[in-house]
Amino acid sequence: MVVLVALSAAIYAAVLIPFKGFTIIPGFTEVRPANVFPFVFGLLFGPAGAWGAAIGNLIGDFFGTLGPGSIAGFIGNFFLGFLPYKMWGSFFRRGENMEQNVNSGKKLAVYIAITILASAVCAVWIAWFNDLIGFVPFAALGAIITVNNAIAGVVLGPILLLVLYPRVKRWGLLWTEIMRPEEVSASRLQRLGNLLMWVGGLGGLIVGLIIGVGLYEQGLAAAGFTAGGQGGLGIGLGLIPFLILIVVASFMLGGREQVEAAEEEAETSQAS
Amino acid sequence: MDPFLYLDRDTWVHRLDPRTKMLLLLGSFVLAFLYVNPLYGLGVLAVVLLFGASARVLINLRRIWFVLLMIGVMTTILWSIFGGGTTPLFWFVEREAFLYAVGAALRIDVMIIAGMIFLSTTRNEEIATGLVKLGIPYRFAFAVSTALRLVPTIAATGSTIGQAQRSRGLDLESGNIIQRVRKNTPLLIPVFVSTIRSTNVFSMALESKGFGASTKRTYFLRLAMKRQDALVLLVFVLLLAAAVALRMAGYGGLEGFSR
Repeated sequence: MVVLVALSAAIYAAVLIPFKGFTIIPGFTEVRPANVFPFVFGLLFGPAGAWGAAIGNLIGDFFGTLGPGSIAGFIGNFFLGFLPYKMWGSFFRRGENMEQNVNSGKKLAVYIAITILASAVCAVWIAWFNDLIGFVPFAALGAIITVNNAIAGVVLGPILLLVLYPRVKRWGLLWTEIMRPEEVSASRLQRLGNLLMWVGGLGGLIVGLIIGVGLYEQGLAAAGFTAGGQGGLGIGLGLIPFLILIVVASFMLGGREQVEAAEEEAETSQAS
Repeated sequence: MDPFLYLDRDTWVHRLDPRTKMLLLLGSFVLAFLYVNPLYGLGVLAVVLLFGASARVLINLRRIWFVLLMIGVMTTILWSIFGGGTTPLFWFVEREAFLYAVGAALRIDVMIIAGMIFLSTTRNEEIATGLVKLGIPYRFAFAVSTALRLVPTIAATGSTIGQAQRSRGLDLESGNIIQRVRKNTPLLIPVFVSTIRSTNVFSMALESKGFGASTKRTYFLRLAMKRQDALVLLVFVLLLAAAVALRMAGYGGLEGFSR
């Protein structure tokens, strides 16, 4: 697992770095096609993909966006890789094919939904922290990060997943094959956890945008990074319940059923 | 070209404990964010550059000059346009907004340069052991240092694959930027695939060396904070305190700037 963490982080950072000059909000974010990797590596490598996303982003920060905001970048990018593998299993019934691929309409739809949610969750963490410490208004950063992440994930993700999944499976590197069921937490009230994650992620983003634009006269997207006031208590305190929801939902989602499903599938294919 | 950032020099900066350099890096962020006025920002930049020059690693800035330039130009343009002030400078740009823009550009570039100096003067093993000594779990520190080591390797693999394809007649140079991106994108797939494929070999190499076999680790690299580290930290704390005192006394701000 530790090797997969390092490889995921290195690939993510290696693709982030060449685009550091294509700035959107100077010192905070840039054009990031590399953001496709946390989604794909999260799905394929599980926890290793999530930690790889966090570390890779931190390494990338050294080449253009290093600063106190990197702390939130670490957490936000961790969730960008964490949610895909945690959420994936909650969309499929027991016994249904849970392979982390996009080779069916349902799987593609689930992938897109998870990508959008993970993008929002990542944006909420980063924009909330940077607004709290008075760096960049929530509305500007939140909107840009969500769109930036989601576009990379939705456009490039399915292609990359279709190319990489069969190879990663053949090499026995899928997280569901590497980890044993007892190493993965069992889900508790999985459907409720799924719902809470949506409320925490999308709800947090929407409420943050409403507070930012309405109460503090912040502007959306790049033009908004100087508009309005950041560091207000409205966003600082108002979003805490949503962040708590995200954390609580993460514990509820588990993931053991995916490992068990992979084991059952392996046994079935061996028997046949 | 050497793809690795670390530059092997025998300077007093290289000999510092990695923990000292990490603390200096964090302190440089505080210094960078203290002043809004670009004149004071230039002072901070001078201190950071002097530190880098004494470590003889500023040559590495050539690798990131494009990023530094782009961030500097974009920051200056954006803040000049969207910031406000009281004194007209040219067209609709106010003097205060322009000065703030230059100060913000300096601030961001200072942090990037400080990060580059840290990576240029600290070996990966030192970063890993330094993180462990700061209480970070070993596996995490190992992943960070390994990823840092692999980034240039991946870039070199990409370059090799590009050259191999060029030698077979693939034209990667012609066309506008979008056309060149489209031509280069398919080359990334073999880079990722070959990198991921190396996972098993890498894992076996680690296991053969007993990685994770014992919960209590010993280290070949023994770190110890020496008198030189204490002295450097003391000087830096005094510098930081003086800078904070100067800021609290009202210096380094920018009158008339508004968002």
